[in-house]
Amino acid sequence: MPDPMIPRERADYSAIVDRPPLKLPGNARIVFWTIVNYEVWDIGKPMARQLLPAPTGVQLMPDVVHWAFHEYGMRVGCWRFFELFKRLGIKPTLSANARICEDYERVAAQARDDDWEFMGHAYEQGPIHKEPDQAAMINRSMDILEKFTGKRPVGWLGPGLTQTLDTPELLAAAGVKYIGDWVYDDEPTMIRTAKGPLVTLPYTIELNDIPMMMVQHHESDYLLKRTIDQFDRLYAESNDRAKICALAIHPYISGQPHRIKYLEAIYDYVNKHDGVLHWNGAQIYDWYKNLAAQNLKAAE
Amino acid sequence: MNFPKPSVGMLPGDRIAYSPIPNRQPLKLPKGARMVVWTVTNVEEWDPTQTMPRTVLTPPAGGSPMPDIPNWCWHEYGNRVGFWRLLKVYDEFKIPGVMNINGVAARAYPELVQAAIERNWEFVGHGYTQRNMQKVENERADIRKSADVLEQATGKKPRGWLGPGLTETWETPDILAEEGYNYVADWVLDDQPVWLKTRGKPIVNIPYTQECNDVAMMLIQHHKASEFYERAMDQFEQIYKDAKDSARVMAISVHPYIMGAPHRVKYFRKIFEKIRKEKGVLFWTGEQILDWYLKVGPKPP
Repeated sequence: MPDPMIPRERADYSAIVDRPPLKLPGNARIVFWTIVNYEVWDIGKPMARQLLPAPTGVQLMPDVVHWAFHEYGMRVGCWRFFELFKRLGIKPTLSANARICEDYERVAAQARDDDWEFMGHAYEQGPIHKEPDQAAMINRSMDILEKFTGKRPVGWLGPGLTQTLDTPELLAAAGVKYIGDWVYDDEPTMIRTAKGPLVTLPYTIELNDIPMMMVQHHESDYLLKRTIDQFDRLYAESNDRAKICALAIHPYISGQPHRIKYLEAIYDYVNKHDGVLHWNGAQIYDWYKNLAAQNLKAAE
Repeated sequence: MNFPKPSVGMLPGDRIAYSPIPNRQPLKLPKGARMVVWTVTNVEEWDPTQTMPRTVLTPPAGGSPMPDIPNWCWHEYGNRVGFWRLLKVYDEFKIPGVMNINGVAARAYPELVQAAIERNWEFVGHGYTQRNMQKVENERADIRKSADVLEQATGKKPRGWLGPGLTETWETPDILAEEGYNYVADWVLDDQPVWLKTRGKPIVNIPYTQECNDVAMMLIQHHKASEFYERAMDQFEQIYKDAKDSARVMAISVHPYIMGAPHRVKYFRKIFEKIRKEKGVLFWTGEQILDWYLKVGPKPP
């Protein structure tokens, strides 16, 4: 097999100011893209995130405290999300470890019945670099989600956004159309793979409760503050070109009682603005694909 | 105290003697100005096959798996999108730009270099790649190549140097002076330019900043975005006061992937909205600070 491509071979450098602006339908100017992450943390592995340092500084296994920390999100926190999005009529993208269909069938069924978009997110949580057979894991994850929802997911987000150099080929081969792992632009882009192009959607690690709360240790209300700042700027820029403002949340973080009100306040703020679409990843993908097709036609 | 001397190069104390700032001859700026602000934009290209210099998102369960696509993309965002936001701020307030740029980045991002050339920015050598100078295989070759690439890209050899992550070996100032650089900014030890001895002719150090620097503030200390503005104001007010009798220099240092994020750029802009109006404040490049210091400052040691 030839060497897999490095990122620069998949995507040339492109300055956003050199591109023709993208247009959204009607009077819309900005898409607010909500991504909810539901995961499975296997008690037999190191836990994905830690809140409480181990007393001696060495994390031992089993790590029950952080297993429970995550489990709280699936028992309690996620129901705060379901309630919020049902009330607002928003159908977010669900970044779903496929194993939630097995371990948290109740939660996965609720998301399906509420018509959320399921986006592939590996079988369970852990860096993709450690998968012994990545292609099999990707296919298995896609198959489980397809069987559970009746639709094959069009999107994929690596666990912790992790990829190896050949992941894009494996994803394209498994039928994935867009990925969220490449947070390198404000607009969707097309990247090269040996199995045909993949679209990248502007997911976010800035408006994301993991970097903000778990890594940077900001106060609870900073999620609201930063989102307002981010949204304001993108909204102003969306006067000239369509913008996408993504927000990524986890039930064990933003579903906590002391944080949920700031999440709710985000939607109060955003919804005061005209021209905001609450689209999920599949909708953004369809819009971008149609635009790209029109551009191709126009170029012919 | 006596420290063991390195076999090549010099200890810091051998390059520059201790000097308390109030004991020096006052430095005077033209037209009665009190202080200079220089603003430095750091442009880097991160090698996707190496460990990323910084991360915003750690992988689940820790470690540093390779490749690290999310963090490579994070930095690439700065060059695709973030830089162009910073540029608008520089244009709006007519701030003369200084670009610290990796040699490889000058090749990878020609549009960005072009935008800086059109605005007459100063280009400062910043390593051929974004790698600790102690880990660079041949330091002199790296320093020379950085200058050559910038000369090819901009038509002018850089006069200034800032090491990637401000890293130096014991020998770096010697090599810089020998390779024709006129100033370095790695020695953040004063509010005024100073002379550093080298084994050849001395080199000037210009006050750069680790304090008003978005890497330190946002990535290491994890402050919220508005703190960048708050701190810059506090820093500015104090230096302005200090500069009553003798000129001082304030530096602001940013990276497109950090301060160019939509939620941060307004705090960067607010700094200039505030200080651009102040009397007695000059907005200069590193080169301008250097030329002024060569004219009015003490003779080289």
